[in-house]
Amino acid sequence: MRRIAIVLLLILIASAGTLLLQPGASYSYQDREALLAPASHQHVAGTDAMGRDRLVRVSAALLLCLSGAILAAALSTIAAAAVGTVGALAPKSVGWATLLLCDVFLALPWMFLLMMVRCALPLTTSPLSSAAITFLVLAALGWPACARAVYRGTLQLRHSDWMLYATATGLRRTQILRGLAPNLLPLLLPQFLVSVPAFVVAEANLGALGLGIGEPLPSWGGMLLELGNSAMFMQTNWIYLPVALLIMVLLLLEAITVEA
Amino acid sequence: MRAFLATFKGLSRAVGVVALVMIGTTLLVRLAPGYLSDAREMDARYAGIAKDDLSVVASQSRSPSAMVFHEFSTWIHGNGGISRQYGVPVLQLLGPRLSVTGGLLLRALAWSWLLAIVAALLSSAARRPLFLWQIPSTLLLVIPTAAMATVCLIAGFGGPVLVMVLCLAARDFKFLHSTLRDVWIKPHILHARAQGVPAARILVAHIVPAIAPQLGALASLSIVTALSALVPIEVIFNVPGVGQLAWNAAINRDLPVLLAATMIMAVAVTLAGITRVQTDHWRNA
Amino acid sequence: MNRRRYLHLCAVAAVLTAASIACACQAAPRLPGELAWTIGYDPKTFDPAKVDDEESEMVRYLTSGVLLRLNRATQQVEPCLAQSSSLSPDGKTLTLKLRAGLRFSDGSSLTAKDAAWSVRRVLQPSTKAPVAEEFLDAAAVTVQVTDDHTIVIHLPRRVIGVEKVFDEIAIEPADRPSEARVTAGPFYLSDYRRSQYVRLRRNPNYRGSGDGFPRASGVRLDVLENQEQITRLFLRSEYDFIDNLPPDYFELLKRKAPNTVRDIGPSMNTEQMWFNQAPDSPLPEWEKAWFRNQAFRIAVSQAIHRDDLARIAYLGHATPAYSFVSPANTTWFNRNLTLPHIGVADAKQSLARAGFHLDGSILKDAQGHPVRFSILTNTGNSARAKMATLIQQDLAALGIQVTVVTLDFPALIERLMHTQDYEACLLGLENVDPDPNAMMNIWLSSSPNHQWSPSEKTPATAWEAEIDRAMNLQASSLQMAERVRAIDRVQQIVADQQPFIYLVYPNALVAVSPQLRGAKPAVLEPRVAWNVENLSMEAR
Repeated sequence: MRRIAIVLLLILIASAGTLLLQPGASYSYQDREALLAPASHQHVAGTDAMGRDRLVRVSAALLLCLSGAILAAALSTIAAAAVGTVGALAPKSVGWATLLLCDVFLALPWMFLLMMVRCALPLTTSPLSSAAITFLVLAALGWPACARAVYRGTLQLRHSDWMLYATATGLRRTQILRGLAPNLLPLLLPQFLVSVPAFVVAEANLGALGLGIGEPLPSWGGMLLELGNSAMFMQTNWIYLPVALLIMVLLLLEAITVEA
Repeated sequence: MRAFLATFKGLSRAVGVVALVMIGTTLLVRLAPGYLSDAREMDARYAGIAKDDLSVVASQSRSPSAMVFHEFSTWIHGNGGISRQYGVPVLQLLGPRLSVTGGLLLRALAWSWLLAIVAALLSSAARRPLFLWQIPSTLLLVIPTAAMATVCLIAGFGGPVLVMVLCLAARDFKFLHSTLRDVWIKPHILHARAQGVPAARILVAHIVPAIAPQLGALASLSIVTALSALVPIEVIFNVPGVGQLAWNAAINRDLPVLLAATMIMAVAVTLAGITRVQTDHWRNA
Repeated sequence: MNRRRYLHLCAVAAVLTAASIACACQAAPRLPGELAWTIGYDPKTFDPAKVDDEESEMVRYLTSGVLLRLNRATQQVEPCLAQSSSLSPDGKTLTLKLRAGLRFSDGSSLTAKDAAWSVRRVLQPSTKAPVAEEFLDAAAVTVQVTDDHTIVIHLPRRVIGVEKVFDEIAIEPADRPSEARVTAGPFYLSDYRRSQYVRLRRNPNYRGSGDGFPRASGVRLDVLENQEQITRLFLRSEYDFIDNLPPDYFELLKRKAPNTVRDIGPSMNTEQMWFNQAPDSPLPEWEKAWFRNQAFRIAVSQAIHRDDLARIAYLGHATPAYSFVSPANTTWFNRNLTLPHIGVADAKQSLARAGFHLDGSILKDAQGHPVRFSILTNTGNSARAKMATLIQQDLAALGIQVTVVTLDFPALIERLMHTQDYEACLLGLENVDPDPNAMMNIWLSSSPNHQWSPSEKTPATAWEAEIDRAMNLQASSLQMAERVRAIDRVQQIVADQQPFIYLVYPNALVAVSPQLRGAKPAVLEPRVAWNVENLSMEAR
């Protein structure tokens, strides 16, 4: 099952890549005479409202956002794991401070920090670097909720028999941590899987603040958000393509990670 | 005495979190671009009035420390400050909205947990977990909240509670499924199942105690998710709640209202922490 | 494993969830004979003198009794509470005669004393009424009551279209300002629930300029921003019309209920793009030099396919624009402007003349700096975002690399009005007054709203000085022909210099329920509600 999932995911990525590398394929070229064109030999999945090839755009978005979101999700999950375990294994006061920090972090309106980030960047920042910065910021802000859960989990493990035994026999910290990791997986894996689609959409929402993936680069989240506009999705069924692809990718990721 | 001490500690911690959040929010809003600007400046007819209003705001916000002090004092004196966009005391704005949002959140949390727990118990109990169980939750995770709300609107079915329940249940399910799966395959439970102990008995005696501490932590996760889903849901369904108010306040840089909203968020988050403590007590008892 | 029991539980949970979900998105119930439509946000004030936002203006329009009214269809000023008005030949004395037997909504009689008090209240600096500015020197204006039915207003200097200003001055009972609870207009405020609705009741004592009191028993304005909700509730006849329909929802409604939508042609509003020419902006010197270069601005203007903007960004519901006066403005629109020829080849020639050259596919200036800039626009306006993306491709044909940045309004305004930290901006301008005199603040070089280079101490260029002269001339001239000539001259200078690159006039799009009687949508705001006295719902 896992092997099949890996192969399928690779096939998906490879086909998106080849589609993009095809001569004449451009995610930004606006064919202004073919707006919202139906599927044809030239445009396999039709065109969008600005006459751009939908399939090419979806492929580019897939590669761009998938790598960005997966990376950001992995980073934030690792950060959550690190903060959570450090908080739980360190002296009580550090743990207390960590939890307090998490609570404060969760309640602050980070939207304004994002505005400041935008303000600090030059307006001519290229869409690609803007995308990279956005995903980094998302990773930096996405960890606290999960860190709390990890903290709880680790605290529970800390008092477990095997941990007491391990400490008593004088295992080194790194060895204990190695034993700890598999026990935290049931918490970290869903966090990772939930973060991926959340970051894909969050990126598009940040477009409102001037961050996110700028035009003409295609944004997967932006395509998903089109579903919130009935005036758009009454026009063509191809608008569901990005959602379908994202579901597929997530299920494949799930199949790969869950059995790991 | 011990209970009193614990309550006191919990309370002082909550006050600390709220105070830190207030300071952080004030700084963030003050330093974010657009605090000292006004949409009316662009309209030649209203530019003069806007300028006067802005100079008042500017004189009040020269130094961040004075601003923080000012905001603290408005809360201590009781009215929470005057909203910048509406010109009325914040508490007066917030009062009726709190009950609306509170009701929505509580109903959504209760139903989503029920749904997620039932689904997770079913999905995780099987000998080989069926992959099919993941499809609905993945589908719900992928569709943005705003899109889900719009689809509900167009279909004319369901309201804010349904959308929020679906959003939360999908996330909670992922975590619960994973945690429960881990528990079901523990040796003592496998043994009990092999012995033919009734499922209900295993649930009560082993499963629930095993996941109880995790539930507390997950509760704070789902409260945070619920609060972030609140804004799009309230805006799209036009629910006169705190999320809608907070969104307008953020757009208009209405610091007093934003402070109130983030304080509610801080209280909710610390409350989630307290529920955890309670479950711990219950377990120890 | 007792699977059956679980499934049972699951089913029960699903049923309960479905049952518990109340649909909280209903509009408030409609009272008999009441009209209903939506406003985007809570009105900031109900005090008619302090109105400074669009939605408060809507409430003021519906509730206030005014001496003179600007007829939105004919664009002419008509008497309302006044029986007649006369302006002295020097334009400095306005005499207003009130109709006999006027009453406020609470039954008390309305006399010249009330009218004079209301006008004086607006003029007082302590009221902070935005309308006062339109009198140019409000402190020196005097209001005199000559008899029970006449007031005379003395102006220190002539104010163009002074009659129109009275469209915005509500007459309130003297010394009893009531925030629209007691009015002399068609309706008065009866109930307000913040973020839910504003409910107005018919004023039984109102006698309009036409044939008597309002047909509808009241008006309910629901506070609702989400277009999806508005459209849905309109289709369910919860609302009687939609005033400002975005083009995509216009098309949606056209498919679902074709007899409701109306495109009433180009509005008075413009969408434009401009470059930042402010001398103290933090931009590098070479960029400032491009933006001050007339040929550069013209080349950009020539390269933009306005037809495509109208066709794609507005789905055909916009008209290409080349000037600040819209064709909807019959008095001031100038058909005989000479415009730069639109086309990429001409644009390339203009650029070559200005010393730019192509290096591969990248345009460079004479010093070799690649031409690259950002276009700033606001969040939440999909048509603008689309226009910016279309312009991005149009300018790529010249070798110019454009990045599109959307910012939320406060952040955008901070850059435009305070830090001047932007390169180009794409925004719209709403014109509520057909007379270009209302645009004084945009064209005078000393004004903070002179967007491309705000608050100049002296005009930075000869052509800006000439615009200043022409605008001042039209503001003081007594002859209409001379005013028209001055405005034509400004239009020609703007076409030659392109400080604002006009893109489109968005069309005025409305949706009107077939059950609504008496609707005659106009281009001027409020588009459908302007003749609210004559609007009524057909009995269902």
